[in-house]
Amino acid sequence: MNSLEIINLNVYYGNRHVIKGINLKIPQKVVFAIIGPSGSGKSTLLRAINRLIELDEDAKVEGDVRLFKKSIYEMDPREVRRRIGMVFQQPNPFPHMSIYDNVALGPRLNKLVRNKEELDYLVEWALKKAALWDEVKDRLGDLASKLSGGQQQRLCIARALALKPDVLLLDEPTSALDPVSTAKIENLLLELKKSYTVVIVTHRIQQAARIGDYTAFLLDGKLVEVGDTAQIFVNPKDRRTEAYITGRFG
Amino acid sequence: MIIRDKFKIALIPFSALVFGIFALILIIFFANSIQIFEKEGLAIYTTSRWLASEDPSLEFYGVLPAIYGSLYTSGIAILIALPLSVAYSVFVVDYAPRRIKEWLIIATDIMTGLPTIIYGIWGAFFLVPFVKKYLMEPLYENFSFIPLFSYPPSTGHSFLSGGILLGIMVTPFAAAIIREAYRTIPYTYREAVYALGATKYEATRVLIGYIKPAILAGLVLAFGRAIGETVAVSLVIGNTFNISPSLFAPGYTISSLIANQFGNAFIYEHMVSALFAAGLSLSFIGLAVNLLVFRMLRRWEHARS
Amino acid sequence: MPDRRRAKEIVFQAVVAILTFSTIAPLLHIIFSVFVEGLPVLIKGGISFLTDTLAPPSDGLGGIGPAIVGTFVLIALSSLMGLPIALMTGIYSAEYPRSIIGRAAKILLQIMMEFPTILVGLFVMELLVIPMGSYSALAGAFALAVIMMPYVAISTEEALKEIPRSYREAAFSLGLSRAQVVFRVLIKMAKRGTLTGILVGMAKVAGETAPLLFTAGGSERIYFRGLNRPIGAIPLLIYQLVQQPYDNYHQIAWGASLLLMLIFLGIFIPTRLLLREVKF
Repeated sequence: MNSLEIINLNVYYGNRHVIKGINLKIPQKVVFAIIGPSGSGKSTLLRAINRLIELDEDAKVEGDVRLFKKSIYEMDPREVRRRIGMVFQQPNPFPHMSIYDNVALGPRLNKLVRNKEELDYLVEWALKKAALWDEVKDRLGDLASKLSGGQQQRLCIARALALKPDVLLLDEPTSALDPVSTAKIENLLLELKKSYTVVIVTHRIQQAARIGDYTAFLLDGKLVEVGDTAQIFVNPKDRRTEAYITGRFG
Repeated sequence: MIIRDKFKIALIPFSALVFGIFALILIIFFANSIQIFEKEGLAIYTTSRWLASEDPSLEFYGVLPAIYGSLYTSGIAILIALPLSVAYSVFVVDYAPRRIKEWLIIATDIMTGLPTIIYGIWGAFFLVPFVKKYLMEPLYENFSFIPLFSYPPSTGHSFLSGGILLGIMVTPFAAAIIREAYRTIPYTYREAVYALGATKYEATRVLIGYIKPAILAGLVLAFGRAIGETVAVSLVIGNTFNISPSLFAPGYTISSLIANQFGNAFIYEHMVSALFAAGLSLSFIGLAVNLLVFRMLRRWEHARS
Repeated sequence: MPDRRRAKEIVFQAVVAILTFSTIAPLLHIIFSVFVEGLPVLIKGGISFLTDTLAPPSDGLGGIGPAIVGTFVLIALSSLMGLPIALMTGIYSAEYPRSIIGRAAKILLQIMMEFPTILVGLFVMELLVIPMGSYSALAGAFALAVIMMPYVAISTEEALKEIPRSYREAAFSLGLSRAQVVFRVLIKMAKRGTLTGILVGMAKVAGETAPLLFTAGGSERIYFRGLNRPIGAIPLLIYQLVQQPYDNYHQIAWGASLLLMLIFLGIFIPTRLLLREVKF
């Protein structure tokens, strides 16, 4: 079964048509990479998948997104967002909260835990999953803003994982990071796909090639091509895909 | 697809309350003014006879002197505020070393918030005698043939004292807007002006021209603050019905008239209504000033971006 | 010619410096005067100046106790009435900036901030004092609350809007409700700006006189008597004493002014340390 199914999705911002009739099937437990030049609609697509797009009063969505066969537009948006976690371009842990509280916030407010022990356990679990536990276990009370950029981004991953989501969306998660931190996150994502569906938007083509099982190429709000990463990179069917991955535009 | 936003619905009563209060203010002012409008028509604003009487048929109220006094004193205030606030802005942005700059800004910030009654007590006990001794008396002795200086200075309570005190009080408000505009002049403009070999004086003149709309907005705002001020002016203006061109004459302003008369207005049949009508004119001036500043600043921001 | 240009330059700089000094010189003189006139009064009056009630005309200093108590009661009471409304209004404008109510509220708050405060007093007199039949703490506090609201609401709105969009998105992406996003995450991030607005609002109303003239009524000789009874306030007392012909009343007024200035600076200075710019 596919974890996500995007059916004839259209998104408008006022009069601008930003996502144009996209159809996509995203299988379970894979890294699914979405590439394309900036302005191609990658971020908008992600925000339509977890209904974050509704924060924008101008945005209008047509079509459907299904999470395990169930339309997310028939679900409570809060439940959608709980089940589809998101990590953003700039590491954005809440700077006024401790490391612990950043991870604990979601489970606490969503009442996923019954007591402090369960919460402690969940926070530790999430931080371990995000490969951050060893670096922060002695200073969980420190402000999140004291961590390095790479650590902050892994904290954001832990924050998302603490809700035990089915899908993890990442919007260019390494674009603000140095190469060492980037490598750590990429390895982490390969580890995470064993239990989650990972959807990553990236403008670094090589990143898609390194970690993506599947790759979709977006251009100007349209899906140009989607397939096995190997196939897309070795033998693209569309001329525009070829042009993009060989660096001829974008 | 549209989920009803409970949060929004929960917040609306609070916003509604703010709107409600404001609407109620307008309603109360209009409702209470009607009586005097029916009795006198616009004469309440255009005449200067103020006759309080226990016999309602003899009562007559014209608040023109107060309107005149408000405009006169606030006019003096912005004449003072203009050079001060512009020079202050130039000095803070261009000349002051960082330490001094910081202190200058703190000083004007304090001035905008300092309780107005403190200006009032200082005005009554220091400024009025000071103005009388060093401005009014010498000018009157030598130049009393000029209408501006023609009124004999008696106590020192006068349009001039009121105007000067208001000028001191509102300069910081104008300065805050002008300083911000002057500080944010794009660097390329500054560069271009100096590249032409301009001296600082010449460059400043050009740059001041560039922020003229902001200066105007600052002055209008200052005017609005001046015209609404009550207790400080009321302690130095003399509280006398008077339409005189002379700076040295005592007078009234709309707000000081209300402050002085409203307490005993209920003895009379029509005075309460007359004072509400006076307040209505003040609120209209205030409203007009506001909209003007709002539009001017917005246009200025548009022009820059 | 170059000489004339240089002379002009020097004159120009001198004029700018002198005018700048003239802008703040009154403040220096005011602070100086209030200390010189007020400090001896406080020293001479001692503790009883803070606790006693007003002296009779031309008979010593007495104290301004009821006015001090009144000022603090009025600050507390007006905050109680005004803050919740103002905070929620600010949050509404920040959360729904495109909505009609949100946009209209912003303009309205701006107008209210510039609205002459004496008129607010007049309004409250008609609304509360006349129906209740008496000046009261309640009426005074309500007038002050109306004056305080725009400062708090506008700074709350601005502080919330300064938070980068990505934090809002992150909070929503955790499946939180909008109320949780605002109250559990954003408002805490906007703490500094919001708190500054609250303190500015309080400093503002602590020093207001005009709106109290026809609402609070004043009380020089009796301490707090109840919310529906007249109450004193330091600014109001000063205003009344300055207009009296008695020397001792003028002295008391100076002493009260020093105290009022210290209360104002006591709120202003910490606020200023919290945030660099303070807008009244």
